[in-house]
Amino acid sequence: MKKENAMTRRPTQQMYLLRLLVRRNIKNQYYRSFIGILWTVLNPLLNMAVMAFVFINLFGSEGIALDYPVYVLSGNIIFGIMRASTTGSLPCLVEQQDMLQKTNVSIGLFPTANAFSALVTFGFSFIALLIVMLFRWFAGAYVFTWQIILTVVLLPSIMLFSLGLSYFLSALYVFFRDLRHIYSVILTLWTYLTPLFYTIDALKNATLERFMNLNPMYHYVNYFRDLLIGTIPSAEAHIVCYGFGIAMFIIGYAFLSAVRNQIAARL
Amino acid sequence: MTEAAERSDVLLEVRDVTMKFTKYEVGVDSLKELVVRAFRGDLKREKFVCLEHIDFTVHRGEAVALIGRNGVGKSTLLKIVSGILKPTEGYAKAYGRISPLLQLGAGFDGNATGMENIYLNAAILGYTKKEIDEKLDNILEFAELGDFIYSPVKTYSSGMLARLGFSIAINMDSEIMLIDEILAVGDIAFQQKCYKKLEELRAKGLTFLIVSHSDVVESLCDRAIWIERGHMIADGDVKSIFERYKQSMMQPAQ
Repeated sequence: MKKENAMTRRPTQQMYLLRLLVRRNIKNQYYRSFIGILWTVLNPLLNMAVMAFVFINLFGSEGIALDYPVYVLSGNIIFGIMRASTTGSLPCLVEQQDMLQKTNVSIGLFPTANAFSALVTFGFSFIALLIVMLFRWFAGAYVFTWQIILTVVLLPSIMLFSLGLSYFLSALYVFFRDLRHIYSVILTLWTYLTPLFYTIDALKNATLERFMNLNPMYHYVNYFRDLLIGTIPSAEAHIVCYGFGIAMFIIGYAFLSAVRNQIAARL
Repeated sequence: MTEAAERSDVLLEVRDVTMKFTKYEVGVDSLKELVVRAFRGDLKREKFVCLEHIDFTVHRGEAVALIGRNGVGKSTLLKIVSGILKPTEGYAKAYGRISPLLQLGAGFDGNATGMENIYLNAAILGYTKKEIDEKLDNILEFAELGDFIYSPVKTYSSGMLARLGFSIAINMDSEIMLIDEILAVGDIAFQQKCYKKLEELRAKGLTFLIVSHSDVVESLCDRAIWIERGHMIADGDVKSIFERYKQSMMQPAQ
């Protein structure tokens, strides 16, 4: 009886801690800004407005099957899951070092919490996307499709990818404190190498197109947009998305586990 | 049979612990440096022995001071004791719950309220919501923060931070308390309250492991373990060891 208790106690406790950490992250991110929770929806909307305004003139929207504002916003909020998760996770172990030096808590929970708060933020951004879609629908530029529900099939794969990368980066940051600057450059590059504002056809470059296949974010963004257009992604797309996700998760988790003792020594 | 009797009394076993680190001869902590040095072939690794053959046992109700200069491996030893770090050789085993008393304000989230920090801190220490709910009244009562408990921690004075941190630590039902540097903050009234509480807890059988290089711990502890350059130099009565320790501090380091 007592043993059974002990067995369920640990997972329950860890889930509780994870919930607290996620809630804290979200609060620190948004709630305490002066217009509060409204900002969570407003922020992606404003971003989208700026980008649509800038890029519709720069790149033009010909050749995009999706309405351009929807195209930009959908790409950005999917990319945002990975971006928010990794930038939050990068310093998270070092920031908690006072606690981690003295408490035997599983350190993986901290990057995990960042990945899940990124998912919550995605939820808010999704509302913004729905609002934009509604407006575009009134304008006759967008047609709602039922396939949007299949987003729930996509999310686990991109979460696995974000989690893995977050584990990896949070651990690496303990050893290399200049990683923050390097990673912000990489992230900027990655943002522009992913067709968020432009289409891959607009590149008119076959080598780049082939190269793009190595970019996991390209596949996640594509998958999401396929749903919004109303097509069901191919089996191959599923394999690629989950393949990248599972591989990254395994790499990240294995790395974090392998250097756990060195992290403890370094913190 | 004697061993079994001894077992029930032993709270912490540190058996022949040796800790070795492999590190770069010159501390490399940035990727830039690593790359530059790798190109120059300037990366020598060396084995660095931090602790060697540390062996001691702590019994229930003891208050042990770990003393020694800065950088002799006391903090590493604490990490090993609390199970965060696995030693290269030997083992440390605790037969009870360990909770740390953190330094001033450490581990708090400045943006969160005192109340939120109580839950977050206790959850990181491994408690469930129900268990924290049960302890909440005691924590609040001891911290004496009044309505400030609903204000963000970043608005707290250092005395208030100390009160909150201390109050959380002592209300966790642990068998061993790890204290890294004794607290010298808060007003005198609160400090006295803390010392009184610590003594009260000791009388109840709580065990302390206090790291320090000052003699404030002399009054609180009855046993001292002196570590110098990763080796245990002495283990015994706090008074006599502190006497020797102070004398060696007076002499210039060889």
